[in-house]
Amino acid sequence: MQVSKRAVIPVLLVLVTVALVAAAQARTEAPAAHGVASKGYKFFLLPKFVGIDPFTQSNQGAQQAAKQLGDTVKYGGPSKPDVGQQIQFINNAVQQRYDAIIISGNDPNALAPALKKAARRGTKVVSFDADVAPTARTIFARPASAQSIGAVEVVELGKQMRYTGQFAILSATPTSSNQNTWIGFMKKELKKPRYKRMKLVKIAYGNDDPTKSTEEAQALLTAYPKLKGIISPTSVGLPAAARVVQQQRKCGKVNITGLGGPNQMRAFVKKGCVKSFALWSFVDLGYLATRAADAVASGRLTGVAGQKFDAGRLGKKTVEPGGIVTTGQPIVFNRKNIDKYHF
Amino acid sequence: MKALALARATFGRWEALLVLLIVAAGAWSTTLSPYFLDTGNLLDLLTPYIAVGLLALGLTFVVIAGEIDISVASTLAVSAVVLARVWDAGANVWVASAAGLAVGTGLGLFNGVLVGLLNLPSLAVTLGTLAAFRGLAFVILGGEPVTGLPEGWSQLGAGYTGPGELVPIALLILLGFALLLGVLLHATRFGRYLYAIGSNREAARFSGLPVSRMRVALFALSGSMAGIAAVVLIGYYGSARADVGNEFLLDVVTAVVLGGVNIFGGSGSIAGVVLAMILIATLRNGMGLANISADTQGIVIGALLLGAIVAGNLSQFARTRWGGRARATGGRGEVPRSEEVAVSSKT
Amino acid sequence: MSARGTQAQALAATAFRLREFGILVALLATGLFFTLRATNFLTGDNLQDIGTNVAIVIVVAVGQTMVILTRNIDLSVGSIVGLTAVITAQTLAHHHGLSLWVAALLAVAVGTACGLANGLLVAVARVPAIIATLATLSIYRGLVFQRAHGVTINQSDLPNGFLDLATRKVLGTPFLLFVAVVVVVLGSAFLHWTSSGRDFYAIGSNPAAARFAGIAVTRRVILALTLSGALAGLGGFMWAARFGTLNAVSASGFEFDVITAAVIGGVNVFGGSGTVLGAVIGALLVGTIANGFTLLRISEFWKITFQGFAIVVAVTIDALVTQRLQEALRRRRRREVAEARAEARESPA
Repeated sequence: MQVSKRAVIPVLLVLVTVALVAAAQARTEAPAAHGVASKGYKFFLLPKFVGIDPFTQSNQGAQQAAKQLGDTVKYGGPSKPDVGQQIQFINNAVQQRYDAIIISGNDPNALAPALKKAARRGTKVVSFDADVAPTARTIFARPASAQSIGAVEVVELGKQMRYTGQFAILSATPTSSNQNTWIGFMKKELKKPRYKRMKLVKIAYGNDDPTKSTEEAQALLTAYPKLKGIISPTSVGLPAAARVVQQQRKCGKVNITGLGGPNQMRAFVKKGCVKSFALWSFVDLGYLATRAADAVASGRLTGVAGQKFDAGRLGKKTVEPGGIVTTGQPIVFNRKNIDKYHF
Repeated sequence: MKALALARATFGRWEALLVLLIVAAGAWSTTLSPYFLDTGNLLDLLTPYIAVGLLALGLTFVVIAGEIDISVASTLAVSAVVLARVWDAGANVWVASAAGLAVGTGLGLFNGVLVGLLNLPSLAVTLGTLAAFRGLAFVILGGEPVTGLPEGWSQLGAGYTGPGELVPIALLILLGFALLLGVLLHATRFGRYLYAIGSNREAARFSGLPVSRMRVALFALSGSMAGIAAVVLIGYYGSARADVGNEFLLDVVTAVVLGGVNIFGGSGSIAGVVLAMILIATLRNGMGLANISADTQGIVIGALLLGAIVAGNLSQFARTRWGGRARATGGRGEVPRSEEVAVSSKT
Repeated sequence: MSARGTQAQALAATAFRLREFGILVALLATGLFFTLRATNFLTGDNLQDIGTNVAIVIVVAVGQTMVILTRNIDLSVGSIVGLTAVITAQTLAHHHGLSLWVAALLAVAVGTACGLANGLLVAVARVPAIIATLATLSIYRGLVFQRAHGVTINQSDLPNGFLDLATRKVLGTPFLLFVAVVVVVLGSAFLHWTSSGRDFYAIGSNPAAARFAGIAVTRRVILALTLSGALAGLGGFMWAARFGTLNAVSASGFEFDVITAAVIGGVNVFGGSGTVLGAVIGALLVGTIANGFTLLRISEFWKITFQGFAIVVAVTIDALVTQRLQEALRRRRRREVAEARAEARESPA
């Protein structure tokens, strides 16, 4: 064949490259990939995407739980919030016969067919952080009730703006199911008489992108000169909004609250530009999800309400209706307590 | 004789290189993970890329003609949400699919009219419609999903057939369209005209080819493929959301340019695009099964690509320098060169 | 010829001859529309916001323009911005006392190295630019992931002096915008006044002819991609100062904004024509459209739609104005030629 003769050099080079990379990889990855030395279960922890703090911390918690239980947890996921790639990770985990997938879903419904197929082929599914369709998983481990997460942000903002004036919400994307649920509960909380002089003027979307979030926050301040507050229920939007307010020297005039990590927000709190905000420990969340996955893999937990299981350092947990387990309550951070937290 | 010429034209040097790379990638993947070499896994390689693949097939035509359509993923989104809305309103699956397909074609036609008749630059136009169509998808469906699509539908995107229920229907759909469009591109007058327009639009116009009409038709074709991709993708996901396909664009463009389609028009083949998809799918699958992280995968795939092309160029250089068997360059399956494409008449 | 050609008309004629005139009209029309319709659009603060928002896009787009002029493209700029932003932030987080000049130089140096690699791949190893930079887009992004290690660098980790760059003003202009203006002036001067710069146009118009004419095509293409990398490095430094929160996904997809600015600004993707000024107007136009529709109090979903269609409309206006002007110019030239001929005939023969 004429073609192959001509391509001898490229093929050789490619093969050499391949061999080198393969050798390097085999050295570093082989134990994790094949070595099921422990008797415990193998779990795959699949975040929306890798490379950001919340999921890195969830993995820390998952590893703690796995160590206690004698299980192994492999952490991996797409490099961007992409449903299609997440499905490939699901399929790969099934193909590798993982006992369970612990997933934070980019799209609750689009992932469902792949997750149901996983279940049929013997890989159990536990969701955490962002739920998937309830029929596609056994247990959802959540940080706190959606109601408490939505309410706490309104409570904090209400205090800061003395229950009067216009405010806006700077959310993630218009399709983010977590944020949409929380905003629903914010609106419910706002119906209480105490908030009757507070007016939600706009829900803007920063798409969890620092550039877009910054531009949206600026535009909110320009388009609504009387704005007294912004709630940003996302850890990308919150620091972006705080930075805009700080840069425009409107600290105190425009109150910022929402969901974000203490490390992210420490500088703003110290300077008095953000009075309080909320979040939870993603380490605990990852820990709980892995504990639950172990119970699900062993068959002790089937997702029926009322079932109990041992969640290690988090105590005994009971399954709530809908197959949900809850880590606790959102933590409110402020000037007084923020130095106690480092995540 | 004609068939032979066609085969040589279709499977040029670039395609041969891709085949070899696929073999190498497959061999490597086998050493990486014991789970790779499994009939079910191999047959399923392309399933996750079904929508990307269908979009890439449509885009191939546009790029060969020297244009670009980067609104394809947004067109897919509008088709998908229209389809879901129509189904949600009580229509049956066929009517809904037809509506989705019609919308995709219509949006493609819109691009085509702006580019082909008003003579606007296609990259600028589709940069605009990329955002505009995505917005339309949100206008139509808002932030909430449509779920509960009938089981039969998901057969289309996620079902299996054949002995042992091993062959994914998605694979058959993709290969079927590849074959259909391959014939259209490589064995019809339409296809020949396309290459002529892509090589030199003014010359094509002077030789009496219906250039404007062809350009409109191309974008309509690309839109139709987006509509078809929407029908299949909705089946694969079993639901629809306005941000569907948000992350597809880079993969689609990668498949087309890695497939050897010259981004300045005039050359490229369907076979190349399909092979490029198989290559990427093999590498991602193999490394995924070995739990190599997504970012390392990116590095390895990028480096392999570069290594392969550089090695190919080196070997060619060596041949022309020392081999004596110097060969005129410029064949259809040639490595697309960044600089040496004669498109002086294009603006 | 009659003597009605006053200086003003001459000036107008020069303006009309600018290829950017059409897109400038589109920008002014957009501005006028939002001035009439949007709350607080035409205020100093808001215009400053727009300027600051597009400053980084402009800096990186200047480099991109040079690359596109040579009939190549650089898709890796988003990853280079991310890489240099993370490296800048990590360096400053660990060495609070470090001079910002050193940090900026480091960012530019890393960017230059990335750009040089791109240049060598394209010009020496002869990998088509779109494939080469698509590959380095993944590779450089992979490096960002490995550097960042899944950890976010926050404002509290960074020295105040660095973060203040985002708000500091130089000669009444926000610092970031000031940097962009300097880069634009230098970039334009380079393309206009140096032979290397002019070579870019020649190479993009016809690479083969440029080679025959004795232009060092290989070296010029390397230069263009290296400059693009260097400016992306500078962009990364600015990015870190502006946002103060950096992680592995910082600036991913940013190449899209940069290429949009250049393309909308009339830089021809087939090479050979376009200017830095055009890319700047393109960036401003896109920035204005994004800002203006956000200020209009309309539904979020219609906003995205309108933003997209506004770009299509702007492109159409640009094309129509340019077409008209070219026709008018052609007609006038023909008339001038005819008049000249007539004069020649009338003169004693």
